[in-house]
Amino acid sequence: MTAPTTSRRSPLGLVSAEVLKIRTTNVWWLFGISMVAVTLLALGLNMLITHYQLSPPLDQMSEESRMQMEAEAAAARSTAGLIKITANLMTSGQYLGLLFALILGALVVTNEYFHQTATATFLTTPHRTAVIVAKFVAAGLFGALFWLVATVINLVVTPIYLSSEGVAVHLTDWPVIQSVLLSLLAFVMWTIFGLGLGTLIRSQIGTIIVGIVVYLVSDILLNILAPLLHNWIEKDWVLGLPVIAPATASTIMITPGRAFEHAPPQWAGLLVMIGYVVILGGLGILLTRRRDIS
Amino acid sequence: MPDGRIAVAGLTKQYKTVRAVDGLSFEVEPGRVTGFLGPNGAGKTTTLRMLLNLVRPTAGTATIGGLRYADLPDPVRTVGAVLEASAAHKGRSARNHLRVICRAAGLPDRRADEALDMVGLSTAANRKFKGYSLGMKQRLGIAAAMIGDPRVLILDEPANGLDPEGIRWMRQLLQALAAEGRTVLVSSHLLSEMEILADDVIILAAGRLITQGPVDTVLGSMGGAGRTRVRTPDPAALTAALGEGAKVTTDVDGDLWVTGPDAVAVGEAAHRAGVVLHQLTTERPDLEEVFLELTKGKADIR
Repeated sequence: MTAPTTSRRSPLGLVSAEVLKIRTTNVWWLFGISMVAVTLLALGLNMLITHYQLSPPLDQMSEESRMQMEAEAAAARSTAGLIKITANLMTSGQYLGLLFALILGALVVTNEYFHQTATATFLTTPHRTAVIVAKFVAAGLFGALFWLVATVINLVVTPIYLSSEGVAVHLTDWPVIQSVLLSLLAFVMWTIFGLGLGTLIRSQIGTIIVGIVVYLVSDILLNILAPLLHNWIEKDWVLGLPVIAPATASTIMITPGRAFEHAPPQWAGLLVMIGYVVILGGLGILLTRRRDIS
Repeated sequence: MPDGRIAVAGLTKQYKTVRAVDGLSFEVEPGRVTGFLGPNGAGKTTTLRMLLNLVRPTAGTATIGGLRYADLPDPVRTVGAVLEASAAHKGRSARNHLRVICRAAGLPDRRADEALDMVGLSTAANRKFKGYSLGMKQRLGIAAAMIGDPRVLILDEPANGLDPEGIRWMRQLLQALAAEGRTVLVSSHLLSEMEILADDVIILAAGRLITQGPVDTVLGSMGGAGRTRVRTPDPAALTAALGEGAKVTTDVDGDLWVTGPDAVAVGEAAHRAGVVLHQLTTERPDLEEVFLELTKGKADIR
């Protein structure tokens, strides 16, 4: 047998191996296609809502509600209102997209246990921290790819739609760009979130179920509980408490201004997300380092 | 570059209630095939996994060429391992499975094809792993182990799932690799196969070393001298001729089993007494007998 040429082991090679693992299974393009569908659907829905915000149907309304609707439409048509609308349109599809990112991240690590490939992986690279970091990077790249798919669609449709509504297009305003970039950060963060969760739980189906519950249910639950709690503790910050639900935190992080009434500022959402990523990512590395692979 | 000597010293693994490996020490020499034998649950797999940094030892050390596996500068080019649970993603092709290893190990992608060629899987290279037979999976495991042309090979039950032709192929491969000066450590419970394949054996039971050494030495250690089997039309005359020093028993076929004098002495005694012999054979215990004797009472399920 011919001896192989000198090996060049590098961190980049490790990332390339992890990318190849994702690329040689069906998951990534299935999610990619779903991403297109979800973005188109969300964009359509957002355009419909925006249309009624900008031009509410005023006939057949009482004088009082007509005046209120007109005031709201005027607020929506203001520069601040249009920026918020544009940022919302430009991040269409991310609500479910982030869930895809979470599941992809979870699969990247649970596949190793489900298909018993962890042995081969850690034989090839006994430095487990390096393996997990390479997984973070590779999964993050695919998270970014999902974001790119959504963003390209939104970027094509949003200006055409806004022009058709006859309002100014604020694509290049900083809050909009910031929102789109923070959305990229969210996609990357949610893949790491999923990866960390996967190392914690290891069971593929278990991780996906817990991931979906954490993503969807904690958000809804806290948004129900916070107003109830507010009846006991009548402070405004209580209404901002849903920020500790990761999905709410990432919405707050991305939305320019306030995501909802009494919502904490954007940086609070960012901090909560960083907290989750550091804790789950760190736990992932720690557990993987200590764990027996058998 | 470290040499291929495997050294295990005081290796211990304590699970919650079970001491799977208990102060195990042994050495494995390069250039020889070493059989790693023990009943189910003896701690073979745990030991191999500790050697490969997959399982964390409670105490003791396991090194390859003086280094722990995790400290090897280039593990894939130093050690190749085929473990029982080695597997690939069911939806991934064999070629892609090996390419992943190449990328991580910094080897060129062509090594994947060369390794597949070596184990005779080239025609199935693009087939998904879920369509592989047990024997093909075992061959893919060997391809993965050989991808970095390592000087040390560690195999856990490699014959599982192989057909007779595959077992022979494996035997010839491992013996050829050992002849090239590589270290080959192979665990198995197929004792007849190991008797043909191995130069040295390590026998453990209940997590402890029972014996270690060249196969012939281990076989010879049992029951002192071997037994001699004699077939003669006149057993009474022969028994008388052998005298007091020999212990003679008769089996169901009417053959005599002589313990004490060896075949030469039996032949000479028969000649002097004028007894006709139809058969005269030295029977040494086989590995299976020795193994069962050595591990008797130590193989309880723990």
